[in-house]
Amino acid sequence: MSAPVHPTATVPSPVMDPRLAPPFPTAALPILQNTQLRKNVAHATDVIQAKRNNLVAEKKDWRELRNSAAAIRAHVLANLGSYLEEFETNCTAAGGTVHWARDAEEARAIILRILREENATEVIKIKTMTSAEIQLNPALEAAGIKAIETDLAELILQLGDDEPSHIVVPALHVNRRQVREIFAQKMGLPELSDDPEALTAAARTYLRKKFLSVPTAISGANFLIAETGSVVIVESEGNGRMCLTLPRALITLAGIEKVLPRFADLEVLLQVLARSATGERMNPYTSLWSGVTAGDGPERFHVVLLDNGRSEILRRKVERQTLQCIRCGACMNTCPVYRQTGGHAYGSPYAGPIGAILTPQLEHMQHAQSLPYASSLCAACYEVCPVKINIPEVLIELRAQVVNQERSQPARWFDPMYLGMKAANFAFASATRFRLAQRLGRVGLRLFTGKNGWIRRLPSLGARWTMSRDLRALPEETFRDWWATRDAKPGKESR
Amino acid sequence: MRASLFITCYNDTLFPETGQAVVRLLERLGVELDFLPAQTCCGQMHANTGFRAEAFSQAKRFVQLYRDAESVVIPSSSCVAMIRDQYSGLFEELGNEDLRKQFAALLPRVFELSEFLTDKLGVEDVGAYFPHRVTYHASCHGLRGLQVGDRPFRLLNKVRGLQLVPLANLDRCCGFGGTFSVKNAEVSTAMLDAKLTDVLATNAEYCTALDNSCLMHLGGGLHRQKKSLQTVHIAGILASTAEHPHGAAV
Amino acid sequence: MATSSRQLILDSIRAATHNDSSIYADLPRNYIHRGALDKASRLQLMTERLREYGAEVAESSLADLATTIARQLQSSGRHIFVAPPSLPAEWLASNFVWKVDHALSHDEIEQCDGVVTAAFAGIADSGTIVLHHSPTEGRRVLTLLPDFHLCILRASQIVETLPEYFDRCPQPPRLATYISGPSATADIEMTRIKGVHGPRFLSLILVRDDI
Repeated sequence: MSAPVHPTATVPSPVMDPRLAPPFPTAALPILQNTQLRKNVAHATDVIQAKRNNLVAEKKDWRELRNSAAAIRAHVLANLGSYLEEFETNCTAAGGTVHWARDAEEARAIILRILREENATEVIKIKTMTSAEIQLNPALEAAGIKAIETDLAELILQLGDDEPSHIVVPALHVNRRQVREIFAQKMGLPELSDDPEALTAAARTYLRKKFLSVPTAISGANFLIAETGSVVIVESEGNGRMCLTLPRALITLAGIEKVLPRFADLEVLLQVLARSATGERMNPYTSLWSGVTAGDGPERFHVVLLDNGRSEILRRKVERQTLQCIRCGACMNTCPVYRQTGGHAYGSPYAGPIGAILTPQLEHMQHAQSLPYASSLCAACYEVCPVKINIPEVLIELRAQVVNQERSQPARWFDPMYLGMKAANFAFASATRFRLAQRLGRVGLRLFTGKNGWIRRLPSLGARWTMSRDLRALPEETFRDWWATRDAKPGKESR
Repeated sequence: MRASLFITCYNDTLFPETGQAVVRLLERLGVELDFLPAQTCCGQMHANTGFRAEAFSQAKRFVQLYRDAESVVIPSSSCVAMIRDQYSGLFEELGNEDLRKQFAALLPRVFELSEFLTDKLGVEDVGAYFPHRVTYHASCHGLRGLQVGDRPFRLLNKVRGLQLVPLANLDRCCGFGGTFSVKNAEVSTAMLDAKLTDVLATNAEYCTALDNSCLMHLGGGLHRQKKSLQTVHIAGILASTAEHPHGAAV
Repeated sequence: MATSSRQLILDSIRAATHNDSSIYADLPRNYIHRGALDKASRLQLMTERLREYGAEVAESSLADLATTIARQLQSSGRHIFVAPPSLPAEWLASNFVWKVDHALSHDEIEQCDGVVTAAFAGIADSGTIVLHHSPTEGRRVLTLLPDFHLCILRASQIVETLPEYFDRCPQPPRLATYISGPSATADIEMTRIKGVHGPRFLSLILVRDDI
């Protein structure tokens, strides 16, 4: 994809395809230099986090809700097949049509077929990461179907040829001047001011025309209710309601993990979702519909259930919890790494802590292997996750898989990290070896030690440390040396 | 009261003064301390980087070594978190039921330093004197992994002469993260800068924490930026007395 | 015949879960179910939450309802209103133009300045208005296109907590809309702007029918 010249990015358009994106450390570099983006990300995450923390403190049964939410989601996964079948039965009975897509390609094919049946030339869309996951928009474009994003942030990004940087506030890296430029150009409004109210009003007018005229819509789903075959969508702007109600045909694309057992389970999930996602007790609009209702809403309704690697994740004991995710974004808002990079560095529709574990797994661990390392394992994400996904535990598990892949590659003998780890393990195997390694290290580092007793520059992997930090010289006497001299008693042995 | 000191591989090599402080402190409190020279590493670095088989051999070594210890004291919350969070899973995954059982018996006897002081010894006033402005950074493994809570504060608040200055965003990760600090050096540096901004804003003389890993990263950055603010492990503060102040020769 | 994708996916799922056993009835549910507020406090909380997000709130007794409706419509400055097909006749205040929804087109609804509806429930904790789109609440487009929505909510319909609402539903609704704020976006520099789509003006009459 060529790098379009556009006002929102000072760097080439970020690559959000995990198969093409550069590794995380590389992708992060230009962003770390983008002070505005980092300020926006820090501000946005601070605002949402503060609101979230207030509401969590206010909610006396937050712990219990979180426990129930986690339990319900884990229970669903343990019974996923039955709940999906129940959903299918009830959705079909209510007048919907349920399709099953094994992978992204199949999902695109199903959607295109439906759109052709509808003679669609345009389609209005509600934000859904699942559609980015299957790379739907390029496929629509190739088929001559114009996809119109209707979330304000997605609209800004689409008109600006840009990519989302945050799960809930996707255009938080874009400021009002940049939005004004995009709207002025693409909506033909040269006199438009950069006041957020004016910008929003321009979007309202532009989109309203679309809502009232485009007969086909595509949505994602926050939840699928097995008991009733219903779909639930949670939103703030109202574009969701427009897309779900006004068109004649609606296609909902949903990952298979989105199902909940019963309508009443929403009493738990809705309480934790809004507080976690946007720091509200409840988001402005939540919509629930079941199949087709004569006289109210679309006449034709399709659900495309997407696997695309999820049933594989389901198999794995530690990784299965990844699928409990309800896409609230709280992990992102609290992540100190994400705070510095925003979403673009992750090279995937799914960014932040959840992206670091979900993306490589959806790629069957063949791509995005740098993402499990894009974390300092601080566990702030686990602390805020409303469904208690132990993200650090999954990160460590995925790192083990990445290393196991490396173990069979000849190139590993040229990887300083691999060599270092093997050498350290060798050294840790006995106290004798360890003491020797300590001595060698101390002697070796003398070469780099300055007169003040500090090291300013190291070679190879060490240079990654000394790029921003000094290192104190290794002391002449290790602790165990000191103990040995102080505690020289007969009968003491070391192995 | 007897205890065995697990110094940790990096303290042993890079921060022996912390080990010395732990010894001075615990002996002053009447603990009969021993040091098993066969010890090397808990396996955290390997486990967290994905070298699980290697971590297993280190974990096995630790469990076998301390089988008979009354208590094991460790001046590093990340190492204790490794032991508490991951050892059981390691032994289970590798199908070693004996080791898992041995470990289960050992686990209640493993303590991070501040835990050992407040929970096992039941003390908060350790008789320390450290007349300086100090700010405390909550190392992530101690904060979230071990849930040390207010233990460090209860200890620091009883240190005579110490003026504790609150650190803004004290629970935000400093950016060390083990091998993360080199694998993602630029992001680690950005996180370091953010943390140092908060630390320097306290106008403290010292920044302390439960882990020298964080302090090595913070201290390395402070030194590079030629700041006078020093880092010191909490053991160094708690061991400090008027007769033997921190920094004096042991 | 090739195995369908449906079968392949379900087989893959079964392979992953065949050893699992997790019973729905055993799931922990120790969160707050019933609220502790009395009627008056509940009404007050609902009012507070509604006003917090910019909705206009007026109270009325059952006897004064028609008058209150007329007054609220008057102060809205609007003239043409759409009404759900079974909205009580006495609510259709005179001196306004009423379009009753008997299969109105979208264009006809677009011509209206506002809509008046009943509701199914109110949830005080979050200031949520619940519509199940019965004939007194209207189909979904009615509360979506017009810029002003006057909603009549009886005090007896208000519960404190979300679980209480679910408890109240005799069966799950086929259609539902939960309104907890005006349409809002924080997408431009995190500045919260109201009224992107959907009614920008929400007005409630809380009817004290349980006193």
